[in-house]
Amino acid sequence: MDMRDREIQPASPLIAPDTNLMVPAEPELLVETPGVIPETEGPKERKPVSPLRESLRRLRRDTRAMVSLGVIIFMVLLSLFGPFVYQHLGGIYDSPDNGPIPATVYRTFYHQELSRQDELPSAQYWLGTDDLGRDILARLMQGLLVSISVAVLVEVIDITMGILVGVLAGYFGGWIDQVLARLTDIIFAFPGLLFIILLTGIFGTWADTTLSNVPIVGPNGNARLLLVSAALALVSWPLMARLVRGQTLQIKEQQFIEAARTAGSSNFKIIWRHIIPNLFSIVVVAATLDISNTIIGEASISLLGLGVQQPGSSLGLMISEASNAVDTHPWEVLVPSLTLAILVLAFSFLGDGLRDAFDPRTKD
Amino acid sequence: MIQFLIKRLIGLVFVVIGVTFITFIMGYFAPGDPIRTMLGEHFSPQLYAQLRHAYGLDLPWYEQYWNFLVHLAHFDFGYSFKTQGRPVWDILKDGVPVSMELALWALVIYLLIGVPVGIISALKANTWVDTLNMGIMLVLYAMPIFVFCVLVQVLIVFIDQETGANWPVANWGTPWHYTWTDIQFKLAPVLVFGLAGAAYFARITRTSMLEVMRQDYIRTARAKGLPERLVIYRHALRNALIPLITVTGVTLGFTITGAFLIENIFNIPGIGTITVSSVLDRDYPVIQATAVLLAIGVVLGNLLADIAYTLVDPRIKLE
Repeated sequence: MDMRDREIQPASPLIAPDTNLMVPAEPELLVETPGVIPETEGPKERKPVSPLRESLRRLRRDTRAMVSLGVIIFMVLLSLFGPFVYQHLGGIYDSPDNGPIPATVYRTFYHQELSRQDELPSAQYWLGTDDLGRDILARLMQGLLVSISVAVLVEVIDITMGILVGVLAGYFGGWIDQVLARLTDIIFAFPGLLFIILLTGIFGTWADTTLSNVPIVGPNGNARLLLVSAALALVSWPLMARLVRGQTLQIKEQQFIEAARTAGSSNFKIIWRHIIPNLFSIVVVAATLDISNTIIGEASISLLGLGVQQPGSSLGLMISEASNAVDTHPWEVLVPSLTLAILVLAFSFLGDGLRDAFDPRTKD
Repeated sequence: MIQFLIKRLIGLVFVVIGVTFITFIMGYFAPGDPIRTMLGEHFSPQLYAQLRHAYGLDLPWYEQYWNFLVHLAHFDFGYSFKTQGRPVWDILKDGVPVSMELALWALVIYLLIGVPVGIISALKANTWVDTLNMGIMLVLYAMPIFVFCVLVQVLIVFIDQETGANWPVANWGTPWHYTWTDIQFKLAPVLVFGLAGAAYFARITRTSMLEVMRQDYIRTARAKGLPERLVIYRHALRNALIPLITVTGVTLGFTITGAFLIENIFNIPGIGTITVSSVLDRDYPVIQATAVLLAIGVVLGNLLADIAYTLVDPRIKLE
């Protein structure tokens, strides 16, 4: 009985299918008589736990996923607040080239201190300097900020487009479904990175001049990031849509959808109230795993010289600059490489952990 | 079978047209005027018009696209913008053998290392051997390939410094030649590339093997008293390897994008390096040619994998 129920349900319903969201009276009733229900129900009745809470409990017990989550939170905080803290911890440096300068100058990711090239870590430069005498830690934090911003931007587009098109294709079928199928065919046939290389290569210089006027993007060689993000989102959303479509097809055959339709719910209401909430877990897992690919994608493009431009910083750009001098200054290439590897692995592990937590059956 | 092939070929044509159209339209709408850039200081109106005509850029877009397709069908990729009058194929032809060599050796390593590791892991599932194997493979699989390259380079530098050896950190020897110096150049990139893919193969093999070991016919084979060795090699392994055929087709895309990055880091003069430098030079004909060639390669690879799949596994009926 139990097994059969599980088979019929979608992979991981976070909202119990029978929860009637349209009737607000139910929870109030529970609040009014808090002491009565447990007494009458007897001791063998356990408190019902929502599937979401159950999944989170499983996730908390997954050490690898929790360590990864910690690493991700640390990296996000580092990229957001690290530069301010780092710059306020330093004193005045009497530079032979530039005279006395405060840490807010020499600990920026673009300041070149030409008398201090290729240094190893010191009290002044915590992770040393690169071949132009720039602070590696400052560049690293800026690079992390770039990676994370691109990841967020791409996932927002990816999730929005993926759910919108995927649900419509799965629920209504028809021409949207056909177009989506053909699109994913092309995306599968065409290596994604190659497409992004083409797009950024052809429109890169145009983006440099046009997009650098966008306020937040700023002039520091980051203009192409919008282009890179758009390109990455363009190749990733059809896959998300296909995933959502599959899940939608599965959900719409469920009995609670039939019940909702019988009760007179419109298509819009069924999609909004019943289908989209049930897509939560699958979308979260796919998006987390896709963040890894997005971060690798941005770094690859910057590595090839098509992403972030000088004097801006990105983990890929740092690796590409330092890899020319790998035989004389291996430290400079190790720092961004290892940081990127840790960041990407953390997102992969967290994604795997989330998948196991939401749907324990997928675990071998 | 024939019906399936025809259906797939039609799909293939559709995808190739899609890809050519995307690459063409991107080149067409690209900002900037390639002829003006090409002429530079030698700009004069009649020379400009003459060159535009020579490259066919004065035609309306649909005629340009049609010419592009017709030329493609004759394996004529046109002329480079950057080095005037040099055929695109002339630029690409030095890179092709290098990239093919790299990809072929990588594929050999995928299969020679990935598959055995996957089998061992599946047979020793949930022991320390499995955990260790899969841990290493997971890290190799999830890590960006260029980070792996860089770490190997750092390791080579370190070994060179410690032992006084002179192992090269980058570059490629003569394509398809295997003297000791050539091998020294090629070993590191091939190993890096191969191991990254092997990690993927190991994961797939393990899952597939575990799936097969749960089947009824394995239980039957054991029940009738076959030695475990025969059960594994005769009954389980043969079936477990079937999905790998599809995976080999799918990895083509990975192999191509991986090659772009590996060639960049190890400074290998392959197709990837040529494409990236033509992208930086905005040499559209070269870019279009590589994009179309690579896409056709991927689609054909998948088609071959599908055909091989049906030949190997008679249970699969193609609609």
